[in-house]
Amino acid sequence: MKISILGNSTGRGRRTSAAVALGAVLALTATACGDDGGGAGEGGEGSGKGKIIFWDNNGGVRTEIWKEIIADFEKANPDIDVQYVGIASTEYQSKVDTAIQGGGLPDVGGISASMLAGFAAQGALDPLDDRLDGSSLNGKLNKDMIESLRAAGGGDDKLYSIPTSANNGVLYYRTDLFEKAGLEEPTTWPRFFEAAEELTDKGANKFGYTIRGGAGSIAQALDAMYGQSGITSFWDSTGKKTTVNDPKNVKALEKYAALFKKVTPAADLNNDFTKMVAQWDSGEIGMLNHNLGSYQDHVKALGADKFRGIPQPVGPDGKRVQVSNPVDGVGLFKSSKNKEAAWKFIEFATSAESSSKFNESAGQVPAHLDAAKAEWIAKAEPTKLAADALTDGSTTIVQLPYYLPDWNTISKAENEPNFQKVLLGDMSAKDFLNGLAEQLNEAQAEWDEQMG
Amino acid sequence: MITKEATVAAPAPVAVAPEPPRPAKGHRAWDEAPRWQIYLPLGVYLVFTLIPFYWILLFALRPAGSTSLVPWPMTSVHFEKVWTDRSFGTFFYNSVLVGVATLIMTTLVALAGGYALARFDFRIKRAFMLALLCSQFVPGALLLVPLFEIFAELQMINSLGSVIIAETVFQLPLSMILISNFIKNVPYSLEEAAWVDGCNRFRAFRVVVLPLLRPGLIAVGSFAFVHSWNHFLFALMFLNNQEKQTIPVGLNTLMSADSVDLGALAAGGIIAAVPVVIVFAFIQKWLITGFSAGAVKG
Repeated sequence: MKISILGNSTGRGRRTSAAVALGAVLALTATACGDDGGGAGEGGEGSGKGKIIFWDNNGGVRTEIWKEIIADFEKANPDIDVQYVGIASTEYQSKVDTAIQGGGLPDVGGISASMLAGFAAQGALDPLDDRLDGSSLNGKLNKDMIESLRAAGGGDDKLYSIPTSANNGVLYYRTDLFEKAGLEEPTTWPRFFEAAEELTDKGANKFGYTIRGGAGSIAQALDAMYGQSGITSFWDSTGKKTTVNDPKNVKALEKYAALFKKVTPAADLNNDFTKMVAQWDSGEIGMLNHNLGSYQDHVKALGADKFRGIPQPVGPDGKRVQVSNPVDGVGLFKSSKNKEAAWKFIEFATSAESSSKFNESAGQVPAHLDAAKAEWIAKAEPTKLAADALTDGSTTIVQLPYYLPDWNTISKAENEPNFQKVLLGDMSAKDFLNGLAEQLNEAQAEWDEQMG
Repeated sequence: MITKEATVAAPAPVAVAPEPPRPAKGHRAWDEAPRWQIYLPLGVYLVFTLIPFYWILLFALRPAGSTSLVPWPMTSVHFEKVWTDRSFGTFFYNSVLVGVATLIMTTLVALAGGYALARFDFRIKRAFMLALLCSQFVPGALLLVPLFEIFAELQMINSLGSVIIAETVFQLPLSMILISNFIKNVPYSLEEAAWVDGCNRFRAFRVVVLPLLRPGLIAVGSFAFVHSWNHFLFALMFLNNQEKQTIPVGLNTLMSADSVDLGALAAGGIIAAVPVVIVFAFIQKWLITGFSAGAVKG
């Protein structure tokens, strides 16, 4: 390289310093480049002792309860050390995906149905059927939750995640406001729409409902659609065409979207769950659709006596239809070098005692059948009602296609902006649902082709 | 091979500052404008700027469940919760380590590289400058997997060193360009005078040029500190141990998939913001001087 020195120069030392300076910069910059390399390799059973790493897929709020479960586990298994890593739910998928590509996966991770297809498709997870067959957990876990996770696994009929809990859609309503207005509880859709209008007084900044227009809006809109239309399956009888754009669903979405600005704040257009829950907890809004996860937030903000959380309203024929919420669970990563110890931890974490502890804290429905009979459930009304709805036959659950690798993209990035257009009146509900149906049918056809 | 080209820089001519233009007749000068014309827009702007901060303070200081618009009765429970229960004390310490180390490394390397760019000419200099500029268009997320693999090879995953190196690498291009512009603004004749007095190049740089770069160094250093303080991605990806994580990652875990503790989130936000506010409060004078000096001459 030919380097000329601007101005006077006095010797080799200066040239060397320039070369060293630039070399240091280039060396540091060069660390930003590298070859793509190995992914999640095969691990081994290990000695059943030593250290294992657990990544929590919903770290933060649940960190304390996981640490308690881990402390119990380490007490019962003094030769195993569990390192807990809490990762925010919004970042979990990208962190695991990076570790699958670059190495560094943990031994055990939280694996919910909504992420399962992607991880399984990359070959990152160990099938757990055989381990479950030989375990004391066999026959003790909710069969529907197991089937939900098996179905979400990507079509090879293997179980990659042991269920810990199920969430469910809840209609929260303010009992004080309903009483004051002399309204009946919103157990049917006509009552829901009537209450939303009655409780709205825009001049006084009071609204009947808060709609989710931002992140996560599609699942909530689907819940309202299928709940009203009473259609009980996401796919038609051929299994190739979705029912989302069925005329009954179109009509239901039109009615639901018409609530925007009429009985909801205009700012709801960008509502993700955080904003939606925050404004319900701090304002005077009659109703909110969310899941069991925010129950404790409402208790803290409003007190348990000012609201109730009930399952979605029943449809015209008296039957309740809801869309599925992702079942949560824990899985074993294929790259683990200590699978025996990791499985011991999974067994412990999904046992009756741990499942009860975890779900009492999270306010969700336990997967372990004995934990589902625990005393605390009777005291946590929304959880009890959700557990009943999921098990007593009163509710039909429309299973969303979590198994489609494109499901997250279709139901989020690709269609949330269009749903906002529907709310603003810039797109018809019919066009929106036809577009959504086209993408889903295409994704299903691709998936069918891949599965042979 | 390195060759020497004696292109002596001429001493900078003494510039005669032109008189500022007088305000035209019939036009009111700024200092004659009624005060409300200045304070009203500023006041409106301030309200818009400060309301979100007030909102954060309100949620951080009032008890959970309160709907009061003033933080009274005041509570420190949210701060205690995030500082101890949610390990923000540890995250804060880690963030300070990463921020200070990134500041030092970025400043030192950018100083060396910037000096070379300002004072030496070489064949690929233009291409190198272009590469530096282009590197600004590459999002960090794109390089995550290769960086992850490199740090894994170096056994640096789960070490604060990986985050410090990654942050430094991404700060360097802009910092080097800025520093080289600051150095170009220092007359070369000053260094030459120091050589005549017996200094070698390094000593001349240290005693003559470096003191004149103070505004630029403060600008670049503070930019590096604040950027690494706020940066989330590398800490999230390269650090797996809870004890090693930084403030932005900790802040993110205060929101779960379906539940959020707004009091804790607001308190965490204040803890995250305070060092940045303090840094800017102390250095704003140099920061503005530094960035404008670096921006004028290319």
